[in-house]
Amino acid sequence: MSDNYDVIVIGAGHNGLVCANILAKKNRKVLICEARDNCGGLLEESITNFVPQIPMSVSSSLGGLPVKYKAKSSIALSESGQHIRLVGNQHIDHKVISGFSSKDADRYVEFHDKMSSFSKALGSFMMASPPRIMNNTFSDYFKLFKLGMNVRMLGKKKFNEFARMIGLNIADELEDNFENTLLQGLIAHDAVLGSNLGPRSPGSLINLLFRMATHDNSIFGGIYEIDGGSKAFVDTLLDISNKNKVEIKTSSSVKRCITENDKAVGVELHNGEKIYAKKIISNADPRSTYFSLLGTENLDTDVKRRIKHHRSKGKVAKLSLSLNKQPEFINCDKDDLESRMVIAPSIDYIEEAFNPSKFDKLSMEPILEMKLKNSDQSNPALDIQVQYASYGAQEGWDNIKDNYVDAVIKLIEKYAPDIQSCIETKAIVTPDDIEKNFHVTGGHWHHGEIQIDQLFMLRPIPGASQYRTHLDGLYMCGAGTHPGGGLTGIPGRNAAQAILEDA
Amino acid sequence: MNRDLRFTALKKTPFHSRTSLASRTNKYYNWNGFTVPTEYSTTELEYTAARNGTSVMDLTPMCKYMINGSDANRFVDYLVTRDLSQMEDNTVAYIIWCNEDGKVMDDGTIFKFSDTKFMLCCAVKIYNWLHDSAEGFDVSCEDATDTTAALAIQGPTSCSTLKNYGADDLELLKPFGMKQYNINGYDVLISRTGFTGDLGYELWTNPANAENMWDSIMEAGKELKIRPFGMHALEMTRIEAGFIQTNTDFMAAEDSLRPVRMRSPYEIGMGWLVHLNKESYFVGKRALKKEKETGNSERCLVGLDIDGDKPAVGSVIYNEKKEDIGIVTAAMWSPTMKRNVALASLKRPYGIKIKENIFAEIYHPEELEYKKIWAKCKVVKRQFFSPERRNKVPADLYE
Repeated sequence: MSDNYDVIVIGAGHNGLVCANILAKKNRKVLICEARDNCGGLLEESITNFVPQIPMSVSSSLGGLPVKYKAKSSIALSESGQHIRLVGNQHIDHKVISGFSSKDADRYVEFHDKMSSFSKALGSFMMASPPRIMNNTFSDYFKLFKLGMNVRMLGKKKFNEFARMIGLNIADELEDNFENTLLQGLIAHDAVLGSNLGPRSPGSLINLLFRMATHDNSIFGGIYEIDGGSKAFVDTLLDISNKNKVEIKTSSSVKRCITENDKAVGVELHNGEKIYAKKIISNADPRSTYFSLLGTENLDTDVKRRIKHHRSKGKVAKLSLSLNKQPEFINCDKDDLESRMVIAPSIDYIEEAFNPSKFDKLSMEPILEMKLKNSDQSNPALDIQVQYASYGAQEGWDNIKDNYVDAVIKLIEKYAPDIQSCIETKAIVTPDDIEKNFHVTGGHWHHGEIQIDQLFMLRPIPGASQYRTHLDGLYMCGAGTHPGGGLTGIPGRNAAQAILEDA
Repeated sequence: MNRDLRFTALKKTPFHSRTSLASRTNKYYNWNGFTVPTEYSTTELEYTAARNGTSVMDLTPMCKYMINGSDANRFVDYLVTRDLSQMEDNTVAYIIWCNEDGKVMDDGTIFKFSDTKFMLCCAVKIYNWLHDSAEGFDVSCEDATDTTAALAIQGPTSCSTLKNYGADDLELLKPFGMKQYNINGYDVLISRTGFTGDLGYELWTNPANAENMWDSIMEAGKELKIRPFGMHALEMTRIEAGFIQTNTDFMAAEDSLRPVRMRSPYEIGMGWLVHLNKESYFVGKRALKKEKETGNSERCLVGLDIDGDKPAVGSVIYNEKKEDIGIVTAAMWSPTMKRNVALASLKRPYGIKIKENIFAEIYHPEELEYKKIWAKCKVVKRQFFSPERRNKVPADLYE
């Protein structure tokens, strides 16, 4: 057996591509096996709407990432036409909110400062590989010490506040601060976006902090659209891969990891082909990595339990409407239409939408995050993230899909009365579809809930943090690892570092 | 939900009508949720029967699990540290299993009927563990504790007793062999296994046959010094045989609150049951491989031969500098061997490299006063008692 490659990356999602390129730049011979016929994974127009900016630390380790972003403001739509549009700039936002409540405006600035300082304290921890306490190494303790220090350096008052808020639900905190329900709804929406939480679920606040840490430490400031769409981003990564001589095999679904003396030495494709390498990296979700690639017969019972209990049920569907003309949103100007439009008018509304999802059922009044594309052209389109669209909905997605889409459109009708007449085609991608088409267990954006039991050194499961799995030579670089999903490339970068450390 | 909050009484085994009749002392204890006698008359008498005649013990409370399915063979091999890939049908094997850290959860015996059917017997309840371990294997695990009645028939005349009962050609059954019989119109599985370190058998049947089985065996052994024996007598015989008992000689990994109390197989003298060169993976293999390679096992479980005749129950073991090096987990004066023996958990290198010059501090109670004895010990093979008849084929027969 000869090692044809230094590294095989399973899955050409953006983290897989980032990881592969960093390794290739360090003169590793890298092959990517991608099950689908195109690259990019969930970074695709049919899934992605808005993204954070790739952190400098990641783009610089790729030798630059020439992607252009357009900053997006966020608008909370109101049936009455009294929308709130926030751009992420304290002064402007203060002025906007003053129009509704001067008390809220002042409070918003305070709230934002507080949250921002917390997210910064988490920030350095977010970027680096999490410590692994079981290792008992100095550097791991130092990392933990540093996080503790970061938080403690906030000062005694803020430290106490941080401790108070870390397990809190976002609704309580928002209701304590603000009186405008639309503003509450907008912030709560972002706190629960992509998760299995309602605004009143404990832990929804840390979810927002986590989101802020990757979004310029701002609630509404770090939200972008990629110039040229997701495809432009993927193409850029592919260009870099080309330059770095990363080989990519598409339509090459990996069946399992080949092991020798309990060490990963290669992969076997579904077509029977066997490829060998010194290291294998999985960009797949934790459950697929452990149960399919590693195989249940190679796992300890305790590990199987943890993977089985790993929470990864997706809750977001994407509805894409292609339109023949631009719909008239009530009281929206051009800037408003260019914004990230959110329909989540109050905390209670979100909680009502969330309630059925606890029982794997669907609310016919979901929360929406919308993007109007090509608004100045003849073929506009409306891309909508619909939450809570439960994975494995009890009603059965096949039976209810059409009704559900109609319900969403009816909901939009309240804000854009002529939407029906504008629609040419409609296509919905449910979490079940994501699982099937993108091979992500549960169809979860983040390959697993961003929750305190699945964060930092507990992500994806205890004993498998720091991008290493239980099998020697097999690594993970996907959204299931620290710090989680979103277009950040951090898991991919950190995984590459782990591999370089081990070499 | 309508829940009955009254206490549920301990369950009675299918032999209870007979064991309660045989019990003169009415001493019972809770074994795995069942009420069973600790002793019937006197422990010494029962012990003597076990070593010189036939002793009968109700084994029903032992945890019993049936493992069925097309992957049963692979699954069992995955579950335990021992390599069972070459195990033959209708044989029994002594096994241990570990958690992911390579710490022993329990020991037990596995009965192989065929590649697709096994029975696992052990002390600690592990249904949940089996169920979760079975993820990815085509097997079903079923708790058969309540649906299987079991009797241990042990002692030098046990083979003769069972032959009288109707088990033809039983003397030809090899140690760790098992054979299906039909006696008095019902099915009985007889295995040549036991916990006394002597010639002995264990019988497994449907609970409906239990009373007939007990009565018939008592009748069959009437001339062969048959006697029911309880837990206390069993404890004596198992110490002599050097058998370990979970949560007595070591803490089951899942029952230990303190991680440092968990023991690897190498630390309880069970290294011989760990087959790291087994081709397939088994639970705990990675951790055990690491422990073996680094040699960082901290303890060992050894047999001690102790000066004097006062049993070193619960004694602390010291070296010549009076440093604490371990503890006695089980101890007794062996009436058969006339030796003062004990099982002890020692800190390495004591017990492995240093076997002499160690001492037990024995507190011997004498009418409300303790006599403190400083007794010299010698590390010896744990198997104190192992008569030739134990493994003899054909087994000894008596008229």
